[in-house]
Amino acid sequence: MAAARGKTQRRRTATHESFLRHGRFLFLRAALILCASAITAYILQKPLPRPGGGTALGYVLGTVGALLIVWLALLGIRKRAISAGHYSLKAWVSAHVYLGLSLIVVATLHTGFQFGWNVHTLAYGLMLLVIVSGAVGVWAYATLPRTLSDNRGETTRKQMLAQIASLDEQILEAAQPLSRANADIVRLSLEETDLGGGFWRRLLARYGDCANGRALSQIGAALRGASDREAVALAKVEDLMQRKAEALALARRQMHITAMLEAWLFVHVPATFALLAALTAHIVSVFLYW
Amino acid sequence: MTQAITLRLITRQAGGGEIVRTRRIDTGEALIGRAPGCDIHLPDLAVDMEHALLRALGQGRVSIESLTGEPFQVGGKPALRVELDAANAQVVSFGAYELVFSLGAEDDVVVTVLRREDDYHPTPSLFSLKASVFGRRRMAWTLGLAILALCLILPIAGAAWFRNSHIHPDQQWSTGPLSKAHAFLDKDCQACHQKAFVAVRDTACLSCHQSGRDPAIQAASDARVTGLGSPFLPLLMSDHAAHAKLIRAMPPPPTITGKVAGVFQMALDHPRDRCASCHREHTTAPPDPNVPKTADVVRPGKPALIVVTDCAGCHSRLKMRLPSTGLIDTPDWNRHPDFRPLVTVGFDGPQPRLQRISVTQHPLEANGLTFSHRVHMSATGGVARQGEVLGAAKGYGAALTCQSCHRPDGGGFKPIEMERDCGACHSLAFAGGPGNLQTLRHHDMRNILGVLRGSLTPANGPHVDPAVLRRAMAPGGLCVDCHTIRPSGGPFGAEISPVHLADRVLPWGDFNHGVAAHAGVGAGAAACADCHKAAASDRTQDFLIEGVATCRACHGKTEHETPAFAGAQCSECHSFHQPGEAPRTGQDRLFTALGLPAGEKPRGLPTLGPQAP
Repeated sequence: MAAARGKTQRRRTATHESFLRHGRFLFLRAALILCASAITAYILQKPLPRPGGGTALGYVLGTVGALLIVWLALLGIRKRAISAGHYSLKAWVSAHVYLGLSLIVVATLHTGFQFGWNVHTLAYGLMLLVIVSGAVGVWAYATLPRTLSDNRGETTRKQMLAQIASLDEQILEAAQPLSRANADIVRLSLEETDLGGGFWRRLLARYGDCANGRALSQIGAALRGASDREAVALAKVEDLMQRKAEALALARRQMHITAMLEAWLFVHVPATFALLAALTAHIVSVFLYW
Repeated sequence: MTQAITLRLITRQAGGGEIVRTRRIDTGEALIGRAPGCDIHLPDLAVDMEHALLRALGQGRVSIESLTGEPFQVGGKPALRVELDAANAQVVSFGAYELVFSLGAEDDVVVTVLRREDDYHPTPSLFSLKASVFGRRRMAWTLGLAILALCLILPIAGAAWFRNSHIHPDQQWSTGPLSKAHAFLDKDCQACHQKAFVAVRDTACLSCHQSGRDPAIQAASDARVTGLGSPFLPLLMSDHAAHAKLIRAMPPPPTITGKVAGVFQMALDHPRDRCASCHREHTTAPPDPNVPKTADVVRPGKPALIVVTDCAGCHSRLKMRLPSTGLIDTPDWNRHPDFRPLVTVGFDGPQPRLQRISVTQHPLEANGLTFSHRVHMSATGGVARQGEVLGAAKGYGAALTCQSCHRPDGGGFKPIEMERDCGACHSLAFAGGPGNLQTLRHHDMRNILGVLRGSLTPANGPHVDPAVLRRAMAPGGLCVDCHTIRPSGGPFGAEISPVHLADRVLPWGDFNHGVAAHAGVGAGAAACADCHKAAASDRTQDFLIEGVATCRACHGKTEHETPAFAGAQCSECHSFHQPGEAPRTGQDRLFTALGLPAGEKPRGLPTLGPQAP
């Protein structure tokens, strides 16, 4: 019993410790040592004719950098493998973040600050893109889940969708007595409303042209010219569409935050593949035309 | 008789299954619309309140007519009125509702009303970005494979396709631009990178820069380089020494990083004695011109010529690493050994016997002549008087100067020729007979001997008693004035010694007599007499070269010490690639280029540039 409680306690501790603080910043310290070693060696070397990938230190830093890149990319495979330890994946992520950031120093010193319009600088640029997008990911993971949770409150995503669908049904029901002209306004809300939208719309939360919103703005004018019978239905529809707008806004905020949480991966993962390809071309070409 | 209409209303349930409600209309007319009172009630906002009228026309035929002017869909096309044969199972759409016609069992028309179900049911996955862009994995593979194809496979596999094209895919592999001298090879990577995965070897460089080749082969090589677009001809390089000796002579790297670099070079098959070990391309010279030291012009550009090891690196403890060497260790200019000129110490038959003897040992030369520089250069005396008598018209007119006999030619002098340089005074004319003044042809020994021996026919020369020859070689005789006479086993008991006047006595260093500071021009400049104590030399044997200390009067001094201060680098006198010559500066090459006939290209880059530090 006591043993079982101990284990539970340990799990809880593990859950509360973020991957950034893992092992009392074990991998931050490792990364700092790596950077300090690289900078010291860079200062102490006497490269001829000038620092670059072709010097002894250049080869060392290049080898370290390439191995690091391959290992960091393996996180994509590692995260899919369920392993026994409680901390192993968190340790991997922690190492991934800090050693990945240390690549900025290792790879930049490897270049000797020589850049050009060639495959070598392409690989370097892609590496920086991967690192920067990864850093955005770290920021997103550190801040956004709370925002996401605060936004949805007690409502689940399924409930959000169900609420919008239910409102649609009610609007349809309420709009039955309407004439064609007014029914067309309602159809705008029912048929043209796009909940999510594309990549940029979600990321930038741009929903100014929302069909439900347009329908709402038209319905006011319709109300003024409507007969009594129509006006009752229109008022009901307007009320429902107002509620739909609120439901949409909630769902869309959720999508916007989710998009920010996920967008970096749409850069990070493809850029990693591109980097691995450019790195291969860099290494092969350097040794092919030695 | 009016045909009845049977309505079948099918409602799909959420949990699956259908509810079918049937109603019969005997009037043969049915109103279609959104209004609750319509026979066919379609609660769809796209449908008007009383949208259309359905009529049974008999014989299984029906008509549908729009009552509001709003169309409906028949077979996917909008229509305002349509007549159908119910037997054909036609479909008419109003909004999301479909009316399917068929013939009933009781001679009635059956209209089945269905609602088209929307297949789209949003799920929580809609909240993820994956729902809005195409998959990360597909994007990743597409990008990765595209880069691999464009940056690696195309340059390798496409090399043959693009050979004659303006596009050279392998140029994207270039780590930087080539130097001006090699820029014409910018698109021909394989001119230097000849073997895949093998670092650039000397054979690639020597295919253009090899010296000492057959002139025809050299001309063909120059033509090839010109054809490729080189703005000038390649400099020709000689080996400094045999590669095996160079490797043994090179010191091990002094620092730990140097040793690590050495291990890498060994492991990566980068020998240190390649041309490319020193001559780096695709790179820019570092901003600080003092780092690295360069042997030639440093431009803040390319290529960088780096010195893996400088002269002193090999020559400071050379004897220890290369015991067979005859060279004396020279760690720096201040410890440069004194000159060891090649001295003619005698003759083996007609061939001079040369020996390197240090000037500190006061070598004596046996060049086969008898000559006093002092007598010839004296401002007074017979020689000076003779010069005055000869007059300026003959190039004299006063006491002799060095240039009276040693005629400058570029950085050196023309070889001494007796008839030109001595003949004005030392006449070889003699009386062949009464009123017959003859001149010996000094440069033609067979003629002289023939004439003197009297073996030549009268038509070609005077008939002289052989005793003349004996007298000529006897003390006070014609030849003895200038020539060394040595005993001989021949019929005269003596013979004229061979003569050897060396053009250069220091063949491994270069001394340019033409530069102002060496020709007595300018403040502090050295005149002839500063290095050659000729005015005090009475003997031919005197070897008239001063030691290295004379050079140090200017070389290695600062401008505060002498106005003729000069550098103390090895390259002042010694070139690595042209042993025996000093490296040519950009200025030298420019002047050479300017002196070339139009259209002819100079050898090497004719640019001005700052001197090496």
